[in-house]
Amino acid sequence: MLLLSAFVLLLGSTWTALMIGQITPVARNILYAHIPGSICALLCFIVLLVASIGYLRTARPQWDMVAAASAEVGMIFATVLNLTGMIFSRAEWGVWWTPSPRLITSGLLWFLYVVYLILRSSIRGPRYLQARVCAVFGIIAFLDVPMVLISARFVPDVHRPNFSFESDSQRLALFMGIGAMMILAAVFIWLKTDILKNQHKLEKEPAC
Amino acid sequence: MRYFWLSIKAVFVKDIVVELRARQVIPTMVVLGMLIVWILRTASEAASISAIVIGPAALWIAFLFSGLLAQERAFAVEQQNDCIYGLLLAPVDVGTIFLAKLLVNVVMLCIFEIIIVPVVMISFGLDIHGRWAGLAGVLLLGNLGICGVGTLFSAMVQLARSFGSLLSIIVLVILMPMMIPATLAMLMLFGAIPDELSGVGGLMFAGNFKSAIGYMIAFDAVFVTACWLLFGLVVKE
Repeated sequence: MLLLSAFVLLLGSTWTALMIGQITPVARNILYAHIPGSICALLCFIVLLVASIGYLRTARPQWDMVAAASAEVGMIFATVLNLTGMIFSRAEWGVWWTPSPRLITSGLLWFLYVVYLILRSSIRGPRYLQARVCAVFGIIAFLDVPMVLISARFVPDVHRPNFSFESDSQRLALFMGIGAMMILAAVFIWLKTDILKNQHKLEKEPAC
Repeated sequence: MRYFWLSIKAVFVKDIVVELRARQVIPTMVVLGMLIVWILRTASEAASISAIVIGPAALWIAFLFSGLLAQERAFAVEQQNDCIYGLLLAPVDVGTIFLAKLLVNVVMLCIFEIIIVPVVMISFGLDIHGRWAGLAGVLLLGNLGICGVGTLFSAMVQLARSFGSLLSIIVLVILMPMMIPATLAMLMLFGAIPDELSGVGGLMFAGNFKSAIGYMIAFDAVFVTACWLLFGLVVKE
């Protein structure tokens, strides 16, 4: 049901964006995917932080599963953020990538997710140890994240922080896009957590 | 408080004595560092890139990789005969063990820096223009950041019996925000770029030398404290 509403919202957002709220030149319309992607990538990291702290406080495996799921989902959105950003940058400034603070920190966000996932898959040993190590990395890695936000607002950069959306329809399209992507992120995290829970259950009670 | 200093001293002296007798870590660090410097010097000559730009960057590359080498040893040495459990069973706060290990790593890296900085300055023909205090400050701050993050994660990687190369990617990705102002500060010290940068050049809060230093102090304070607090959770069995 939630998935359906997310898709409806996404379609609505795209339709409004392209039919009434089009930004000129056309290439700039990728912002309707770029901004929601960036918000979700950051939100997933906050979920990861909360789940990591939750795990270290309570040692319940459910928290660890939420952390694992949010890292995977966050990785997807960070990829969306960076890819759409690169396409936008190519269309706007003629380069795929340039070492400006904003672009460096978005790249860093992606790398943090990748390293988290590598860490998760490469630690052998008991499950609680793996979960604890990942939780500690999640917390330390989150300390790098505020810099992503600060660099977006306060550092002089080619990247414009507050792109002005002039008309109401443009703003409507943007907010629908943000809403849709947030629901999508939540559904993905929920689904992945469920899969991990079932996996855990299967490992506990092997079928005869 | 006296007990705190005594326990730090005990672990510190133990590790330094081990190093003095085995002479394992520092020679390896120095050789690795010199190889890195030598390769970069050759490359900069071949590509005719100005040595004054590559030199300060070469310093950080050498510190990072040699530092990782030392940090990996810091807890690997405790794995033999399961010494780590003896250390953890000692009636001291685990945070103290972290601080002692951090101190050992910082001292090792300092010794390495004292050797490698003249090597870099001679081979790249760099001139510090009398700003030795600035150089010492930047080196010490960078040192503390590298060692703080490295010490925590080397304990983690060792306890999880994971492979060592994992440590390098973990530490490098966490340190990245500090390495940019650190490199810029170093470039400013050697006169490769002006002390005041403008526009997009003011990369990552390092618009001028002072803000780069301030940013490094903030990074060190946040990360060393966080690592110190989380260390207890990592080694808890």
